[in-house]
Amino acid sequence: MPHGLSPGGVSRRDWFRATAATAAATSAATAATPGQRAGKPALQVATNCEMCFWRCGALAKIQDGRVARIEGNPQHPLTLGRLCARGNAGHQTLYDPDRLKRPQLRTGARGEGRFQEVSWDQALDWFAARLTELKNKYGPESVAYLPHGASSGFFGTVMKAFGTPNSAEPAFAQCRGPREVGYALTFGRGVASPEPLDLANARAVVLIGSHIGENVFTSQVTQFSEGLARGAKLIVVDPRFSTAAAKADHWLPIRPGTDIALLLAWINVILSEELEDKEYLAKYAQGLDDLRAHVKPFTPEWASAETELPAGLIRDSARMMAAAKPAVVVHPGRHVTWYGDDTQRSRAMAILTALLGAWGRQGGILLPTTIKRGSFKTPPFPESKRGRADGAGTTYPLASEELGVSNGLIEATLTAKPYPIKGWVVYGQNVLESIPQRERTLSAIRLLDLLVVVDILPVEQTLYADLILPEATYLERYDAPHIVETAARPFISVRQPAVPPMYDSRPGWWIAKAMAARLGLEAWLPWKNPDEHLAKLIEPMGISLGELKARGAVAFEGRPTIEQRIEADGPLFPTESGKIELSSKLLKEIGHDAIPVYRPPADPPPGWFRLLYGRAPVHSFARTENNALLNGLMSENTVWMNDHSARDLGLAAGQRIVLQNADGNESLPISVQPTAAIRKDCVYMVHGFGQQAPGLHKANARGASDNALISRVAIDPIMGSTGMRVNFVRVKPEVQS
Amino acid sequence: MARYAMVTDLTKCVGCQACTAACNSEWDVPPGHARTHVRPTGAVGKFPDLRSAFYVAQCNHCDDPPCVKPCPSGATFQADNGIVKVDRNLCIGCGFCVQACPYEARYLNPATQKVDKCDFCASRLERGRQPACVTTCTAHAKYFGDLEDSSGDIYRMVYTRGARRIESGEVKVGPNVYYLGRRGEPQLVAAMFPPRLPKLPAAGEWWSKVVKPLALALVGATFAGQAVAFFTQLRKGEGQFDE
Repeated sequence: MPHGLSPGGVSRRDWFRATAATAAATSAATAATPGQRAGKPALQVATNCEMCFWRCGALAKIQDGRVARIEGNPQHPLTLGRLCARGNAGHQTLYDPDRLKRPQLRTGARGEGRFQEVSWDQALDWFAARLTELKNKYGPESVAYLPHGASSGFFGTVMKAFGTPNSAEPAFAQCRGPREVGYALTFGRGVASPEPLDLANARAVVLIGSHIGENVFTSQVTQFSEGLARGAKLIVVDPRFSTAAAKADHWLPIRPGTDIALLLAWINVILSEELEDKEYLAKYAQGLDDLRAHVKPFTPEWASAETELPAGLIRDSARMMAAAKPAVVVHPGRHVTWYGDDTQRSRAMAILTALLGAWGRQGGILLPTTIKRGSFKTPPFPESKRGRADGAGTTYPLASEELGVSNGLIEATLTAKPYPIKGWVVYGQNVLESIPQRERTLSAIRLLDLLVVVDILPVEQTLYADLILPEATYLERYDAPHIVETAARPFISVRQPAVPPMYDSRPGWWIAKAMAARLGLEAWLPWKNPDEHLAKLIEPMGISLGELKARGAVAFEGRPTIEQRIEADGPLFPTESGKIELSSKLLKEIGHDAIPVYRPPADPPPGWFRLLYGRAPVHSFARTENNALLNGLMSENTVWMNDHSARDLGLAAGQRIVLQNADGNESLPISVQPTAAIRKDCVYMVHGFGQQAPGLHKANARGASDNALISRVAIDPIMGSTGMRVNFVRVKPEVQS
Repeated sequence: MARYAMVTDLTKCVGCQACTAACNSEWDVPPGHARTHVRPTGAVGKFPDLRSAFYVAQCNHCDDPPCVKPCPSGATFQADNGIVKVDRNLCIGCGFCVQACPYEARYLNPATQKVDKCDFCASRLERGRQPACVTTCTAHAKYFGDLEDSSGDIYRMVYTRGARRIESGEVKVGPNVYYLGRRGEPQLVAAMFPPRLPKLPAAGEWWSKVVKPLALALVGATFAGQAVAFFTQLRKGEGQFDE
């Protein structure tokens, strides 16, 4: 291996022996034994899952040098030994025959898919030479980094050290950004991930578009289910009769895009009937009088006309949640980039949470507890005089400069403003499915001098890459540990390899270190191997590396409620006023509504439907559709259409149709699922299908991609996210030949 | 002796299929098949007054299992603890038991040509572990235990909380997988997925799926024996096989 590096800085043989020793220790530490497989006793390695970002505790069971089975790790403090379908199927991604196996350099045209396999030495030398060229020609800021996943920090450090501030994750502007900003404006801190929702102790749960059950984060489902079993009331707002809606006390099939009207009416009911948590508000909140005056006109009767929900239902549901205060979880959602008013909708939800006294309360939304971590002394990152190119902090004043605005980066690449972006390093995500407006993304890629993709599978964007670097899967690598402060009991959980990397793949940390070495940036990753990195990190935690690796996760004492806070935890509400800001001075100062204002959405014209999308429990984004087990459970998506609408269009269940959007974009053929479980003004499909990647033999061209139909977005002016539920589609008329 | 049973709380179940994935992985079930299925009822009713539930289906280890009698080789049998098992060494893959099961809980594994189905993870039970579907269930909706243990969860759920069997007017064979639901989910599931009458093999099937293959196997074995003898003799250099 180049530069004498190997996973762990030791030979592969030694490395495997060490892993086996860890595994044996784990085996002794947990009483668990392997599955039904007879024969030699299996080893097991405690790690965490990367089939989605929740990173549940997992035990990889090894037999004859292969991961034969993955089960939940009962010692994980949050997920308690449970794993979803994806977690149970993780080794099928490890053994996916379609995996990227060796570094590849493009030889054909972009998109053509012709590559030449090269050695890691050649690949990394080539990478460093191209990056240095870009730096000399356009400055280091001309290289942008678009990451997602557990190893992203290692590459992020290299990119910052290289001198570019341009890093952006779709986790912000295509997902939870508006929520983080909306809650931070209100409470002084965002919700963060995993969301610290005390669902098991809630007496009422309010879901606005959140489809728990179809969207599975293991512990969130467990706690949701426990809460309901203990008698929690459930209110579900969704244009679709979701799995959760079927469990609800009140289902509110809302007209899409009118959520702020509903929220203002709920606030109106709570304040006009004096159902708010008065003591909590008097102590902790400012702006109540302004809020009261603001919502006065927004009665349930007013909202009924906008939302198409009965006024009585709006009133009853408001009373139901108020009766349970303060043990109410108004779920802040996760993917919340819908209509472009998303920060304000999140604000309205945060305000509702405040009125119920539920922030920092048992059964509500819990407060994080800091875990002290050790760090190496590293030089400061070079400062860029040119600033960020994605508009975070400037065009989009409240966008996170840590997570960035990915669509802003694409815009900058297309326009060369404020300065040219000529290189992208993409890690752990497929930008053609994770970011809307595919055509713009493809146009931007065509303008690049350099596209480097680090991934485990030949997803569509690899066809356009100049250099493909095959990463080892999570079962073959160390990653930065998962340090979770947003849990009732904060914890650290470790990612460690169960088997050595297959083929010529390498762990992310190794690739990042090798890049740093080539670019002369070793000083920023000053550890020899992941053990050294991990040992430093846990130094102040009072735990041993051996214990952590054997157990997989270690929990600490938490202080998640207001009553439990101590001075060391810092201010309760780190806002400018030090209080909950029901009315936001900051928003007013930067020219936005201090209290959310409802603006009606456009309705689809007759014959058209609003395109809604969501998740299935057996897949994550566009990343798991090629997994043999999960593909066997769901190999393609369907389009949900109201059964009356389908009948009017003469469509039968299972009929293959093509959807067309207002810009003429067409989907791949998709089966119709006529159902009473959706409103007439919208259609719905699960995201992640309809991929156009011939190298993914199970997933290629199966079902339809919602993203292919999302050619329009509504940008949130406060923080730059892309509202994606603003596209109308129709069934493409059949062409008579 | 224990009487094993399972209870699935359909009010808790979110249909996430973690159970199916865990089971498929535990038992190397080929894609497209399953030992435990999750079947959605779909939305029933008129918008917006709708109901739906998930049917988590598997072998019911019935008190009177209709799959045992039709098995010509004796591969399918019921153990003393109530678990209905398939002895893979005896199974001839005729599929009579697959037809006979009112719950569609069995399948013929195309890779092994043997019938496969849920056995409550008997090998895990022997090691003191719970079935794979139970330990992984994200909604904590599945429970497993001894129906005769009056201090256990299963006993309480069946005898005091009213967990129900999925049966129809025609099919009452004493299933030992029970369902709880506060919102009428078990009743909805029973209405949408009623067990079907067991289908017994027709006389012709006996010939085509049992007698003929068995006869062929016997002939084959005889032929194989002769062939072995032939090559053994060749190797010994004793010339041609003596007719």
